[in-house]
Amino acid sequence: MKQVIVSPRRCVGCMQCVVACAVAHSRSGDLPGALAESPRPNPRIHVGAGIYHEGFPNRCRHCNPAPCMAACLPGAIYRESKTDSVLVNPDVCINCASCAMACPYGVIRYRPDPLIRSGNTVAIKCDNCVARQHKGLDTACTEACKTGALVFGELDAAMKRETERVARSMTPGPEAWALHPETEPLLAHKRAIVNMNHQEEGRSSS
Amino acid sequence: MKYVIIGNGIAGTNALESIRRFDPEGEIKVYGDETLPPYCRPMISHLLEGVVGPERLPVRSRDFYDKHRADAMLGQRICAIDADQKQVELPTGKTVSYDRLLLATGADPRPVDAEGTDLENIFFMRTEAQVRGMVKRLPDVRRALVLGGGLVGFKAAYGLLRRNIAVTMLIGSGYPLSMQVDETAGKMIQAVLEERGLEVRTGVSVAAFEGNGRVREALLSDGNRVACDMAVIGKGVSPAGRFLPADKIDMETGILVNSRMETSCPDIYAAGDIAECLDIARGYYRVNAIWPEAVSQGRVAGMNMAGIPTDYRGSVSRNVIRIFDLDVMSGGTLDDRDMDDTCRTVVFEDRRRRIYRKLVLKDNILIGFVLVGKIDAGGILASQVQSRMPVMLSDSELASVDLNFATIYSHARYGGTTHTEDAS
Ligand SMILES: Cc1cc2nc3c(=O)[nH]c(=O)nc-3n(C[C@H](O)[C@H](O)[C@H](O)COP(=O)(O)OP(=O)(O)OC[C@H]3O[C@@H](n4cnc5c(N)ncnc54)[C@H](O)[C@@H]3O)c2cc1C
Repeated sequence: MKQVIVSPRRCVGCMQCVVACAVAHSRSGDLPGALAESPRPNPRIHVGAGIYHEGFPNRCRHCNPAPCMAACLPGAIYRESKTDSVLVNPDVCINCASCAMACPYGVIRYRPDPLIRSGNTVAIKCDNCVARQHKGLDTACTEACKTGALVFGELDAAMKRETERVARSMTPGPEAWALHPETEPLLAHKRAIVNMNHQEEGRSSS
Repeated sequence: MKYVIIGNGIAGTNALESIRRFDPEGEIKVYGDETLPPYCRPMISHLLEGVVGPERLPVRSRDFYDKHRADAMLGQRICAIDADQKQVELPTGKTVSYDRLLLATGADPRPVDAEGTDLENIFFMRTEAQVRGMVKRLPDVRRALVLGGGLVGFKAAYGLLRRNIAVTMLIGSGYPLSMQVDETAGKMIQAVLEERGLEVRTGVSVAAFEGNGRVREALLSDGNRVACDMAVIGKGVSPAGRFLPADKIDMETGILVNSRMETSCPDIYAAGDIAECLDIARGYYRVNAIWPEAVSQGRVAGMNMAGIPTDYRGSVSRNVIRIFDLDVMSGGTLDDRDMDDTCRTVVFEDRRRRIYRKLVLKDNILIGFVLVGKIDAGGILASQVQSRMPVMLSDSELASVDLNFATIYSHARYGGTTHTEDAS
């Protein structure tokens, strides 16, 4: 399956992906039209600046398992299997921002959006351009990226490792449910207290 | 393999899904007190507020149990288990045996010690049935009294204010949400609620409710009286484990579990609001009764029950609330009692824009934060608390409203000098 491969070191911070993303998620589908729309179309990719002002394309990783999905209160976030995308159903979303608290990348926004017919403010995030993909098109950000920071392609093992390395650079990753080294002694301590309490109760009731 | 799950909240539901995923053959029985298909408990506050109808609450379909080939016996409360015989006792007196048992009974609201609590229009706010009851009475309600300024009391007050009902809130501590946020954030929340008509009284409790069949007035501990035609009791919850044999299953505030969600009794697991496990931020055992942890714990319990050894990392308390146009997110601990001399606090404030951010680091690991305003990327901080990775960002970067994953990646990429002082 083709997917978006992110190589952050290639990003020059030109913001072309941000513009392309907003246009791809507008009603008109072209830049002049998108600029005239109200509410303004929202880019779902965010380019941040690092400590040396270098660019970093920050978009949804469509994690599996996805922490936003587990945190979503009304069950609005789901996985579309065909493109392996994590999507928000805007008719179910209640704008509670539980997903904002769950996303380790901070890529979910809450805004009115021209594509949300109800006019409600809901969670807006990268949808992997599923509408474009279903038409056989590439994602808009990869189409716009000229430096190879964003590429739509097959992920080989080496790239997968790099993607995961980026993901892990500071965050645990959703599957990092490793045994906390301190759990067992803490639990033993706690159990000892409970047992002591039982004994005390036994003494005081007898 | 015979599995029995007691409690059909979100922890029990996720456990059921995990078990079925890894054990297609096993027999699964679910016992639950409430009869609705699995629903979103936090959303009962949206139901009160009137922004969603009851049809929006279920988070699984009506045929959920059939689809998972589980036997659901709903509408009854299990009153005892026999851990030696490995049996669950039904209210009818019948017994059902299990190989693996999950306790996912959640928590029950704590009652108040006051006279007249049996009057009509006095509610707890834990179940959709209770909130449907409240909503039905709203047309006759002008003034409401909310007991408690915790998460449930706050949500009750907010929902009622949004229904244009005058609300008086009684809080024991100095400000609302004192378990979730620090005093500065708590006072900001209180100010917004007061702008919209909330009246807050601190340090008082209700001695008695009075009325003729239906509540009309509350007599407070300070001798004052408050008129109210509805009262909501939000004095916290206690894990619903009173029916369990305390000599077999270790319980402190909640049922103690290890990283496999196993209790002290063989083949009995616990998950969700009833379970007490390691709090990652605090470094000690604690019940963190929140939805996403109930989901995770249910999943992990289910996998272990089905024979897939899986460890749970522990929980982190966290919450996000939106109050009119003020957003507040908090995670980990901000409690003075959890602080020692290895802790430092970073604060950023912009009162004019109603922005306030406070972060607490211990040995340079983020253990708590509260954000008022600009919460969109707060998950970055929450995941720092969960990961216990030493923070490489400078204080100003960490507390910045423009906090972005790019900064974190950049520090990791360029070798991460650890700042303890503001670098700028
Ligand atoms: C008003 C309100 C707002 C909330 N808002 C938030 C929020 O914004 N974010 C957040 O993260 N969390 C929130 N929470 C907390 C969240 O709802 C809980 O953490 C979560 O629902 C816990 O799930 P659970 O499955 O462990 O327990 P529960 O949801 O309590 O489910 C347990 C079920 O077991 C049943 N049961 C109990 N005892 C027995 C028995 N003996 N036999 C049979 N059945 C039994 C109960 O009736 C219940 O249906 C909120 C809670 C409330 C009440």
